[in-house]
Amino acid sequence: MLLTYYFWIKAVKSGSIMWSASCALAYFYMVSSWGGYVFLINLIPLHVLALMFTGHFSHRVYVAYSTVYILGTILSMQIPFVGFQPVQSSEHMLAFGTFGLCQLFSFIEYVKSKLTKTQFDTLFSFALVTVGFAAAGAGVVLWASGKIAPWTGRFYALLDPSYAKNHIPIIASVSEHQPTAWSSFFFDFELLVFMFPVGIYYCFKELTDANIFIIMYGMTSIYFAGVMVRLMLVLAPVMCVLSGIGISSVLTTYMRNLDVNQLKKSVTSTAQSSTRARRNDDSSSYPRKNEIAFGVVCMMTFFLMTYVFHCTWVTSEAYSSPSIVLSARSGDGSRYIFDDFREAYWWLRYNTDEDAKVMSWWDYGYQITAMANRTILVDNNTWNNTHISRVGQAMSSTEDKAYEIMRELDVDYVLVIFGGLIGYSSDDINKFLWMVRIGGSTEKGAHIKESDYFTPQGEFRVDKSGSPTLLNCLMYKLSYYRFGETYTEQDKPPGYDRTRSVEIGNKNFELEKLEEAYTTEHWLVRI
Amino acid sequence: MESFYRLPFNFVQCPNLKLKKPSWIRKPSNTTVLFGLLVSYFLVTAGVIYDIIVEPPSVGSTTDEYGHHKPVAFMPWRINGQYIMEGLAAAFMFTLGGLGFILLDQTNKPNMPRLNRVLMILCSFIFILVAYGATKIFIRIKMPSYLS
Repeated sequence: MLLTYYFWIKAVKSGSIMWSASCALAYFYMVSSWGGYVFLINLIPLHVLALMFTGHFSHRVYVAYSTVYILGTILSMQIPFVGFQPVQSSEHMLAFGTFGLCQLFSFIEYVKSKLTKTQFDTLFSFALVTVGFAAAGAGVVLWASGKIAPWTGRFYALLDPSYAKNHIPIIASVSEHQPTAWSSFFFDFELLVFMFPVGIYYCFKELTDANIFIIMYGMTSIYFAGVMVRLMLVLAPVMCVLSGIGISSVLTTYMRNLDVNQLKKSVTSTAQSSTRARRNDDSSSYPRKNEIAFGVVCMMTFFLMTYVFHCTWVTSEAYSSPSIVLSARSGDGSRYIFDDFREAYWWLRYNTDEDAKVMSWWDYGYQITAMANRTILVDNNTWNNTHISRVGQAMSSTEDKAYEIMRELDVDYVLVIFGGLIGYSSDDINKFLWMVRIGGSTEKGAHIKESDYFTPQGEFRVDKSGSPTLLNCLMYKLSYYRFGETYTEQDKPPGYDRTRSVEIGNKNFELEKLEEAYTTEHWLVRI
Repeated sequence: MESFYRLPFNFVQCPNLKLKKPSWIRKPSNTTVLFGLLVSYFLVTAGVIYDIIVEPPSVGSTTDEYGHHKPVAFMPWRINGQYIMEGLAAAFMFTLGGLGFILLDQTNKPNMPRLNRVLMILCSFIFILVAYGATKIFIRIKMPSYLS
């Protein structure tokens, strides 16, 4: 992505076909790796449009954009997943429209330079009436007949964040798709959140083509990072670029004010030469220019040093641990490792039939396939909403109904994650409401209503006051089987769930249709 | 050639309209756009989109041992969770820090009365240091294990 943008800026500045072609190649590399290429193919036309509005459109931009669009689109259509989308879907229409607009713009400029004013006016009105109306009519027909597909769900959710919440629970349930809170911004960027507006300010001070691009990239990516926390990674490069512009401009301005000789003199000399140094300040309207410049430089250095400490701390604490091996600090400060996930997957690998099918929530699909080497029903890449919904229905129904669904899906093992013994908060009971929502979102699951799983006061509770539907569903039974006799904490009754901090409501039940195959050491994974 | 270009106008007659672009539509100046961008930066970093979708309360509340309800300003321990007020406060600090640096750059203009310059420098230092310090304190309240 950054390579594409770099070549694009080079192409806009130089107007050469070589840089534009390199930009198209880098764009092809981006298309073949991530669906986020849609951001690129919309930002570059937006940049061209902005240049047109601010009057910076020149032959260099024309050459650059035409080359990039044509070569880039042809290359991107080589990827099977993209196929004919660049001419059919709404996400690519802006690029197409800007391409047409570029040609029109340049053609008009060319014709204007060759004709007299009256001749040009006649030609322009003729063209507008015939060709303009014909093109507009064709566009409307294509859009109304559905040949131009509207924005797909996952990109539409970026423009209208409430869409996913109301219509597509699967997209809304992914925790990376949640909107961003202020602490995520600060945690990932620290100093850069202060320097971002400064960089934008310095870009506004001299508006070149490249600066306009950076401003647009910055503002669009900060909006998208605010909509979805996962898109923080699109924001990160431009944050660094803009903050770098800001920091270097501040330092350049103040280093110029700094006169080291004067400072040395005032430190080592006597009182009389220090008063001479003070009188040497260039105008009385800028007192203590030197000292202030020195202060600013010291302050920036201090900020940059604390930024380094922050970054190394965050990386070591939050971004360095594997997600399936958990660790906690015990009372005396030593680290305690929970390796339950791998324990369960290895048990599956060596103690079950080779063609056994495992049903679990889709978060663990890839892990089971890779480590346990067993067939699963749903994983992170499953697009079949109905299938995932069926699994959700099985988890939310009573044991008998769930057994029918499991027989229909030919399931041998069910895997659930349970964190109540150790206080692990990302377990399946905490994710359960999403299973209910997704299960109830298709027609076979229409009898599953989210409100049935809440108490009459509207709370999600697993203790005695919990809703009976919740206390008898499959997920509850599989998670809390035999938990009612287990002591988890001192002075607490048996069956005390440490994650929800309550004593569970339905203890001492027996499973009728399923039997417990394996529970890991800390009860984290139950099969 | 002329007759060809006049062809559509045999069927279509242009209405006699006098259209003028309204005089109050002007290209916005740089400072206006910058101000608009800063406002949108404030709103986005405040987590306004998070507030709209997730609808957290304005401040949280806990009950202490006597049964009194005490307000909680910062949602503890969740990196991607906030109450509305804490989001707005943090975004205010971010924008304040940015403004401090922008002000610091403005102090280098050549013709400025001494009082203005001194006040501007003082203001910018205060903005920057207060914003940085306050944000560090906020994150320390939110996550007691920060930088330890």
